Amino acid sequence: MAYSVLIVDDSPVMRSFIRRVLKLSGFEVGECMEAGNGEEALEQLRAHRVDVILTDINMPKMNGEEFLRRLCADGVLKTIPAVVISTDATNERIVRMIELGAQGYMSKPFTPETLREELERVLGDRHASRT
Amino acid sequence: MPPELEQEYTLDGDRAASDTVREVAAEVLEAMFFTEAALTNCEHSWLRSARCARIRFEGSHCGEMLLGVSAEAADLIAASFLGLEPMELTDGERGQMIQELSNILCGAMLSRLWPESKLALGSPELTPWEEWPGAGNLHRCFVIPEGSLGISVRLTAQSGVKE
Repeated sequence: MAYSVLIVDDSPVMRSFIRRVLKLSGFEVGECMEAGNGEEALEQLRAHRVDVILTDINMPKMNGEEFLRRLCADGVLKTIPAVVISTDATNERIVRMIELGAQGYMSKPFTPETLREELERVLGDRHASRT
Repeated sequence: MPPELEQEYTLDGDRAASDTVREVAAEVLEAMFFTEAALTNCEHSWLRSARCARIRFEGSHCGEMLLGVSAEAADLIAASFLGLEPMELTDGERGQMIQELSNILCGAMLSRLWPESKLALGSPELTPWEEWPGAGNLHRCFVIPEGSLGISVRLTAQSGVKE
């Protein structure tokens, strides 16, 4: 069974790249949605079923930190695992995003294999029961 | 910033910084652009027509990084990044790809050089290549199968530098 994924990034080329890497990774992706910032992402999440979120941090209108804060404050949406994808791999940033509710953190550069492994890890039991 | 403090802490001659730029360039190009980068001697005539982006950073270290990619190489690695043919690229995608590459290179480099620091990256801007005068700047040129790539990094403020 395929997973529905929401990619949140203000860079259209980065969203296209993540789509491409998801395909190359062999991770089973069903519907793949996109949002340019946290605000758009929350709208998408209220309208569609999403299994996992991949989000950037630095975005206009609503950045990744505020997005995670709102996601985790929502009784329904907080169950969706979110993985942060960022160029910032400083320890302080990683700890902060995990404290805000991110289930995973990937720093760029990353390979298709590491993306698949991280998605399988955060989906945990859900992934195991589907495979 | 008092002028006497500027450039006091320099990257040129810093072995760790030099190694980090080389390692990060190779890793980023391989993992995300599906190509290879190897250090080469500087020969800068190609930079006049290169696609370039500048990205500034601030926090415990302040400075900027300048990236230049030879025009043909920029098209080929952008196409590889997006899984397209070079002819299919729009001008917007060409520019965004250089900005994204500079963002990834700079973020990876700073995180590796100063993992315990607090840094914020600015938005990458497309800009012509610029030769920075004076000592203290770290510059490296790379050969990639598709062409050439150059990276310059400099620190512009000293007051917040923490080791």
